[in-house]
Amino acid sequence: MSQQLVDQLVALGGLEVRDRGATRGAVTVRMLPETLEEATHALAGKASIRLADMFGDAATLRLVWALDPGYLLTETEIEDGQYPPLSDVAPAAFVEECEIYEQFGIRPANSKPLNRLMLPPHAGPDFPRLGHRPAQPPEDQPPEEVHASHTVGGQAFEFPFGPVRQVGVESLYYGLVTSGEEVVDVYLFSWHKHRGVEWRLRGRTPGEAMFFAERAEGLSAVAVGWAFAAAAEAALGVTAPPAAARTRAVALELERLYNHAAAMAALCQATGLTVGQSAAEIALERLLRVNAAAFGHRYLFGVVEPGGTTRGPDIEVLRRDLPAAYAELGRAGDALLSTNSFVDRLEACGILTTEQARRLGLVGPVARATGLAVDARLNGCRPRSGSADGSPYGDHPVTIVTGDRGDVLARFRVMLGEAAESVRLIAEFLDAGTAADRARLPRGGGQGLGWAESSRGEVLAWVALDEDGRITRARLRPGSVRNWRGFDDACRSQNVFTDIPIIEASFWLTAAGLAR
Amino acid sequence: MPLWFARGLRRGVVTTRYPARPDDSAASLPTPPAFRSWRLTREAADRMVAACPGPALSRQDDILVFDVGACTACGRCAAVAPDVVASSREFELAATVRSALIKKIPIRGGER
Repeated sequence: MSQQLVDQLVALGGLEVRDRGATRGAVTVRMLPETLEEATHALAGKASIRLADMFGDAATLRLVWALDPGYLLTETEIEDGQYPPLSDVAPAAFVEECEIYEQFGIRPANSKPLNRLMLPPHAGPDFPRLGHRPAQPPEDQPPEEVHASHTVGGQAFEFPFGPVRQVGVESLYYGLVTSGEEVVDVYLFSWHKHRGVEWRLRGRTPGEAMFFAERAEGLSAVAVGWAFAAAAEAALGVTAPPAAARTRAVALELERLYNHAAAMAALCQATGLTVGQSAAEIALERLLRVNAAAFGHRYLFGVVEPGGTTRGPDIEVLRRDLPAAYAELGRAGDALLSTNSFVDRLEACGILTTEQARRLGLVGPVARATGLAVDARLNGCRPRSGSADGSPYGDHPVTIVTGDRGDVLARFRVMLGEAAESVRLIAEFLDAGTAADRARLPRGGGQGLGWAESSRGEVLAWVALDEDGRITRARLRPGSVRNWRGFDDACRSQNVFTDIPIIEASFWLTAAGLAR
Repeated sequence: MPLWFARGLRRGVVTTRYPARPDDSAASLPTPPAFRSWRLTREAADRMVAACPGPALSRQDDILVFDVGACTACGRCAAVAPDVVASSREFELAATVRSALIKKIPIRGGER
């Protein structure tokens, strides 16, 4: 399939890059600015192709397309600070158009208003950003507001909520537009947590940068760390040893388990079911203790490193304690599914259709609950090469759990199914052998793409290294970045205020992952 | 509620004893470093400062300044100076003032 696409793009003036300058881990095609829009039309129009990410620097715009399997990356030189308006063709590109404008001051060649995404309104010229340095505004003028203007008409009014919310919930501002109880519109301000993680990675070696990459989205530390390490390994042309790759997979599935348990507890809290919440939190605590005993960290930080892993799991602990911890989670899940007052709140709540999920490029349980079988674990082989890229899921295939109704209940059922699948996979990986092992990273430069499937969905990382092996540009795209753009659609689908916490729990995203 | 309030006032204790029992899982947790000052040299201190991904470590002449509040217990200092650093096994780090979290460790390596 990828060869047909490449031929199609070459017919549009594209040039396939194979050697120097290519992104390893993906098929790379350099497109001309004048044909980029047409190429985007051609790719976005195919049901089996998904716009997975878009990012840039001061001179180049890169689009990452998820194929089935593998990835295709297009590169286009930016001229005059503008590029063709792509979100008109592929709606999944809009968030990235806003981000690229904030970071580099380049924008789509139209007058479409762009939202504020990461940089706070008070961000001056000295505020850390990847490229763009705007002129200092006069002190007596308020900061430039780039958020798209919106009007609230008729009987509707706007209800601000956040950014400080209840205990333990991240800073996030909702603008709720309502006519009384029904949600007419929702918009998010997520810049309160922006930490400039990609900016902080520049100039570091992959080993030094791993600490920051893991913290881009702490609840997906393994997944983001794995994607980042895989990108660095691809750039340097190395592969993690098989036993280390299986160790990563064990940690990744443990991460999925505790996140799904946490989502279950959040769903119970949102529906006012305190007994169920306690049961889910007991299961969550047991899973976190299994993580600590098996890998030395409750949230599994520090397991993955570029080239391999720093430590192997305590196999005895996992075989002894994980079944009991998962049984606790299973019991809570079964009890909840037989509780009518719980199921009634989830059913037909926060519905997303398959078409919405596809157009917005959603990932993870949110997309799978609509019937889309998107999962980065299926990318066990590198495109073109046909050889295993070190992904342990090639030898231990994952059974993808999907739903079809796209509501909160479908997402909850997908999470329960995935938790069972994670336990099965962990047992397989342990039987196949795990170890703390690493491949030596050669010194040198290059560009690489890496990926992993977090509990929130596909994580992508792209890394460019100079000849000294230091990062010149790194892109981290956690699953939360994709799925927040589907949140407002889910909230608008004939829901009332009290449904919003339920929908948010079922998405189980992080503000940190978006505002990294 | 009034009963608990009255009992608290009478006894001067408003919470239960902490911890109610030792937590077994604490043995698995990463904890901040403890420094063996008699083995600490300027060179080792500089290696650890360079390895620290955050602002937790800095050196002021013959003093290693350790900000426990900025430490994530990542273990990088122990990796570059294993003979100087041990795990503190201490994770009850709450303090009433910020300055109580700043430790000043004299560099005494080579003195004996």
